[in-house]
Amino acid sequence: MTLRDLVLVRLGVAVNLVIGQIVVALLLPVYLDSVGTILVAALVGPRAAIAAGLVSQVLSAVISGNFSWLPFAVVQIVIALYASAAARLGLFRRLWTAVAAGVGLGFIAASCSAPISYFVFSGVTAGGVTVVTTVLRAVGAPLGVAVAAASYATDLLDKAIACGLVCVILRGLPRTLAARFPALAR
Amino acid sequence: MIGYVEGRSPLHRAHPYTTLTLAGAVLFAAFAMTEPFTVWLLVLAGAALAATGGVLRSSARTALILSLPIWVLLFVLHGLLGGGARVAAGPLSLSATGVARALVLGGRVTAIVLSFLTALATTSPHRLVEAMTARGVPFGRTFLLASTLTVLPRMRERATRILEAQQCRGLRLGGSVAARVRALGPLALPLILGALAEVDEQVLALDVRGAAAADRRTALDPPADTAVQRMVRWSLLVLVAAAYAWKFIRMRG
Repeated sequence: MTLRDLVLVRLGVAVNLVIGQIVVALLLPVYLDSVGTILVAALVGPRAAIAAGLVSQVLSAVISGNFSWLPFAVVQIVIALYASAAARLGLFRRLWTAVAAGVGLGFIAASCSAPISYFVFSGVTAGGVTVVTTVLRAVGAPLGVAVAAASYATDLLDKAIACGLVCVILRGLPRTLAARFPALAR
Repeated sequence: MIGYVEGRSPLHRAHPYTTLTLAGAVLFAAFAMTEPFTVWLLVLAGAALAATGGVLRSSARTALILSLPIWVLLFVLHGLLGGGARVAAGPLSLSATGVARALVLGGRVTAIVLSFLTALATTSPHRLVEAMTARGVPFGRTFLLASTLTVLPRMRERATRILEAQQCRGLRLGGSVAARVRALGPLALPLILGALAEVDEQVLALDVRGAAAADRRTALDPPADTAVQRMVRWSLLVLVAAAYAWKFIRMRG
């Protein structure tokens, strides 16, 4: 990785960890903790995006003190690879294609995170998703179905908004700034 | 409290790799344990580690605060709503297998949180960077782990300023979900575009400090590592491997 890539990875990690502050202020029912990873994937490529995702996961554990969720690092790698492929296909050029790509990403991310949540943590992970799982379980859904439904519901919305936001950011880049990212021109 | 606490305990004086290996061993061993008794032995091991580091009180309190919501959710999801044979606990009817599962999962989280809070409280970030440099860890990795933590407070402060400025200009944070999603743009865009505009400046600053040099860096004050500590680290790795081997033998048997 070049120095430039390193600085961009650091930026991606910082965005992943700080955007939650804005999400909380807006009381949105999502996390958006992969916006930085998706942005780095679009600006630089898969290697840097994977680094951003993994470092985000480790630093989030360092900040919160809870290292139990480290198995979810696999999901960050999947997000980085998918977002890089979506960027190469030009899906972040228009808002509707970006949101559609986000729905696809949400589906894939949930398909990875739901089995981890079910088999490793028996459905109890961080905050919001577990509350949805508990509500579904209370109305009679089997645990596996409740975990999967909660994961898909939150991830589809979360990743659709995250990809839409990355599209808005890329379109908002001044030309002089955009020209510094060769991956963006591709 | 989460983070480094000054001290002179054996864990403070140990090589950072030893402290982190201890915490890592608890993390991996926790997922190998499937019985409430063995998981709670691991919680006790985490508490012993915290006591050795002289941070038992603060680490146990923070671990309790962090794992309490998970405990509540575990008991609702598995104890109250779980299936199988029921046991009466006062006015409540609980699932026996669900309670056992909640004890295992909750114990796992508590052991992991406790041991890592102890590792964070007794490992000086400066000594860790020095140890990594002395071991020849590439600059990029130490930079990403250590430098990002210093950037976060600045980014948080900037996010707060943008939030206040946009509210002064009349941005409403409430309303429907669609309206709140639309408000994301005016808040996130200045934060991220501003940070992107500074990238070149930061690359230049790193370049003049020789960050791009491929040569191995010299640590100025590397922490001492001893044969005993190396042996402890290898023994922990063997113990974790043995725990997984035992788990798989029991699963097949």
